[in-house]
Amino acid sequence: MKKPAFLPAVLLLWFVSLANAWAEPVKCFESRKGASEVTQRMIGEDLPNVKCSPKTGAVLWWGNPFDGTVPMGDMPIQDADYTRGKAVVKPRSDKLGLLPLCGNSCHTGSLPKGFPTSKDARELVMMHQAIVLDSTKLPHGRGNIWCLDCHHSTQRNKLVDHRDKPISFDQPQQLCGKCHGEVYRDWREGIHGKRIGEWASTGTKRWFVCTECHNPHNVQHGDRNRGFAQHQPEKAPTLPKGMKTADHERQKH
Amino acid sequence: MDKLKRFAVDYVTYVVKGSPAFYAWIAFLCLFILCLLYGTYLHAADGLRYTGLTDQVHDGLYLANFVFLVGIAAGAVTIVFPAYVYRHKGLHAVAVLGEMLAISAVLMCILFIISHMGRPDRLWHMLPIIGIYNLPHSMLAWDTLVLIGYMLLNFVGGFYFLYMKYTGQPLNKKFYLPLIYVSIVWALSIHTVTAFLLNTMPSRPMWHHSMLPIRFILTAFAAGPSLIILIFLLVRTRTRLWIDNSAIDLLATIITYCLGLSLFLTLSEVVTELYANTEHALGLQYLMFGVHGFTDLVPWFWGSLAACVAAFTILLRPSWRSNYRLLAVACALAFSGIWVEKGMGLLIPGFIPTPIGEFTQYLPTTLEIFVTLGNWALGFLILTVLLKGAIGILLGDIAYAKSPQGKTTSDAAGISATPELM
Amino acid sequence: MEAPVEKPNSRRSFLKSAGSLSISSLLGTAALMTMSDDARANMEWAEWFQGNYRLMSEEEKALARARLERRYSREYGKKVVVDGTPAQEGVLMGYALNIKKCIGCRRCAKACVEENNQSRGKDQEIEWIRVLKMEKGEFSQEKMNQGYPEGLGIQVGGNAYTPVGDVLEGEHYYQPDAVPEKDAAYMPIACMQCEKPPCVKVCPVRTTYREADGPVVIDYNWCIGCRMCMSACPYWARRFNWSDPNLPKEAMNPVTHYLGNRPRMKGVVEKCTFCIQRSRQGRYPACVEVCPTGARKFGNLLDPNSEVSRIIARKNVFRLKAELNTFPKFFYFMD
Repeated sequence: MKKPAFLPAVLLLWFVSLANAWAEPVKCFESRKGASEVTQRMIGEDLPNVKCSPKTGAVLWWGNPFDGTVPMGDMPIQDADYTRGKAVVKPRSDKLGLLPLCGNSCHTGSLPKGFPTSKDARELVMMHQAIVLDSTKLPHGRGNIWCLDCHHSTQRNKLVDHRDKPISFDQPQQLCGKCHGEVYRDWREGIHGKRIGEWASTGTKRWFVCTECHNPHNVQHGDRNRGFAQHQPEKAPTLPKGMKTADHERQKH
Repeated sequence: MDKLKRFAVDYVTYVVKGSPAFYAWIAFLCLFILCLLYGTYLHAADGLRYTGLTDQVHDGLYLANFVFLVGIAAGAVTIVFPAYVYRHKGLHAVAVLGEMLAISAVLMCILFIISHMGRPDRLWHMLPIIGIYNLPHSMLAWDTLVLIGYMLLNFVGGFYFLYMKYTGQPLNKKFYLPLIYVSIVWALSIHTVTAFLLNTMPSRPMWHHSMLPIRFILTAFAAGPSLIILIFLLVRTRTRLWIDNSAIDLLATIITYCLGLSLFLTLSEVVTELYANTEHALGLQYLMFGVHGFTDLVPWFWGSLAACVAAFTILLRPSWRSNYRLLAVACALAFSGIWVEKGMGLLIPGFIPTPIGEFTQYLPTTLEIFVTLGNWALGFLILTVLLKGAIGILLGDIAYAKSPQGKTTSDAAGISATPELM
Repeated sequence: MEAPVEKPNSRRSFLKSAGSLSISSLLGTAALMTMSDDARANMEWAEWFQGNYRLMSEEEKALARARLERRYSREYGKKVVVDGTPAQEGVLMGYALNIKKCIGCRRCAKACVEENNQSRGKDQEIEWIRVLKMEKGEFSQEKMNQGYPEGLGIQVGGNAYTPVGDVLEGEHYYQPDAVPEKDAAYMPIACMQCEKPPCVKVCPVRTTYREADGPVVIDYNWCIGCRMCMSACPYWARRFNWSDPNLPKEAMNPVTHYLGNRPRMKGVVEKCTFCIQRSRQGRYPACVEVCPTGARKFGNLLDPNSEVSRIIARKNVFRLKAELNTFPKFFYFMD
């Protein structure tokens, strides 16, 4: 049955898979580059935790949608009918780049003495400029908000609500939903945003929280199209037999 | 039973014997049949990957020839109908040749369908009882039903006639005439249903119009008799069987009417589609002028139109029509013109663009072309054999009375050698 | 920080339940590898002679699946499960796609291939999802008077307009460095799982049919490869195996369903089944999970609390080619 031509191909693939076994563990991003990442590993016989796109490095397939998740906890809901305890999220607190870097100073939750506790907008010099170049011109909220409207003024490992109550980085929706109410409602009901796991309305789902897809620090950047940051697309389908190019598609009329 | 056995023996003995020209013709056909065998082997072993077909254009040369050949099968009725309904003497004498043509054409249809199918080994799934026969929903199931039915009708009718002629017995009118009348109506049904096969799919706007069945029948009644006239002219020169001029003239008249009407329908379609020029006309535009630089079918369309117009022009003038050399040219033009129009010219633009707007080209591969030629060759081999046998019986070369084994018995029976129906 | 709790459910448990349903879990892969040639030949013959899956008795179905599990496990060198979970009562699967959110990244098309064991590679690449790029078009002031006939006052038609939002003018093979592109919209198209599927109607052997929970499926072992369904589909959702599929062993997804993603053979048609092997086990289809913008939604149309039902109730939805009365269970919507 087998064609001899298949043999070299199979051998090649075998070598490639061997090479992969020795190579560095593959890291892939889940929804957008720069947000949640996951390291490829085997979670069962013939079952990887994720399959990733060789071209873009995006996760294409989850072996276990609930790998490394925790319960989302309480979500202030009225009309949304999600089953409590069956909503899980991937914790982000421990993955946010800057938290471990600063060690024991700001981001443990206690503010060292002498640091300003005022919430008034001011220019941050030498601090977090990789995230927001000019803190007085935050590209989010059209000049109406700045860092400490969202980040807790004294507990820097937390976000903040209107009444200075801290919010976990794992549940940014509690913060975002305060302004983006309509989107928040859609998100709670499963219309907006991404979920993986079980489709039944009573099923277990991993909810992707706001910041897993949106970067709140650059929403008004000019390099966006239709509000979306740009991504590298996956490969175009193979042209049908007998076609050399797809130029005809672009030169119409 | 003994007579039937002798009939079979005499028939086979007669058709396998022939002149060197006959053997050369058979050998020529066998050459292509070998290609068919090789192609069929490749199809069976590796699937249809060696064809030019794609997910975009997934029906090609094979199905195109199928559609055309259903027309040829139906076209055979242009002999039977005048012969039995209008009692046309010239055609009545050779009506059985039409039935032989119908049998071979349906067999060719089946051959092309087998080449076309992805899993011919699973054809048994279509058999009732052991498989599933999706009636009344599937048009393909209906088409299979009418095609097989038509072949059986012609087989029974044709060979009953030949057998009776062979034994010298008179025909049983109560059995034979209903068979003929049913087969006449049935002939219309096979091509109508084949049209329904295509035009019942709104996904393909190129085909989705109620004009398709009548256009199919008209082109069939032009292409079918064209082939028959060519065969008749050949039979007149190559065999001792004389086919009356009146038969050929009547067929020529039928072609004239049908070809004219089919040209009119083509024109109607062009005006209807291109005047409004909706997205649904993209297929026709692609066929006539090419779209987005894809012009593969354009020469075929205009070539076929030119051939049909030229044939019609020749046929329209009685003086030209009765010149049998010119008539042969006209028939050849009409036949090839309709082959293009109804085959590739109808089928391929149905797929371009795809229902979601993708433009591609379809080019048959060499293998596809050779398999197609092989199917035609096998069909012509069957046709040659059937015609040879039928002519032999019509001439009285094969007769029970003459049978080397049966001489004594038939003499004793004292049966006349030529049965007459009317 | 909340303490990590035990995972409420996992892919692994799906696998287990799927595996325990089939009798093949009794048979080890090793035993299959040592099977004699005669036994293999018998197995292939038995597969060739088997009837239409829909009409088989439960025992025959289990036998057919076990036979396939043995063949696939041997061919792909791993333990392959061929599930046969039937439709669940009270479920009608539906799909919704937020056309505003599609950025044309094609991850859905690739995830589908990872999940559904399509043929890949240059010779024969099969993707069930096609993403179209549609130009926003332009209306230009300069061209306002370039209609036809030109310069005669009254114009029959103009040329100031270039196609906008025109499906038949979409690009299939767009390949920019980054998406979404400026002035482009994207439209993914796959099987619509019609309630009145034209493809099912034309099938001469009823190998393709609508399952009770909605998806239109194919018994690949019963398909005769006539391709009528491909002609009849108004959404170009069906693909044909022009040769034996090229499916690398290590890429093969061993969790399969008889009517879903089990490896196909040459000469048969295949299509999207809403990932029946996943959705029947409660899991979202692969394309829903992979969509980075959450444009893809899936759920039970009979459950008013499902995502899809809420979308239909709340948003503006439309169906592609609704005029054909195919009643797709695939809805496009906008925020």
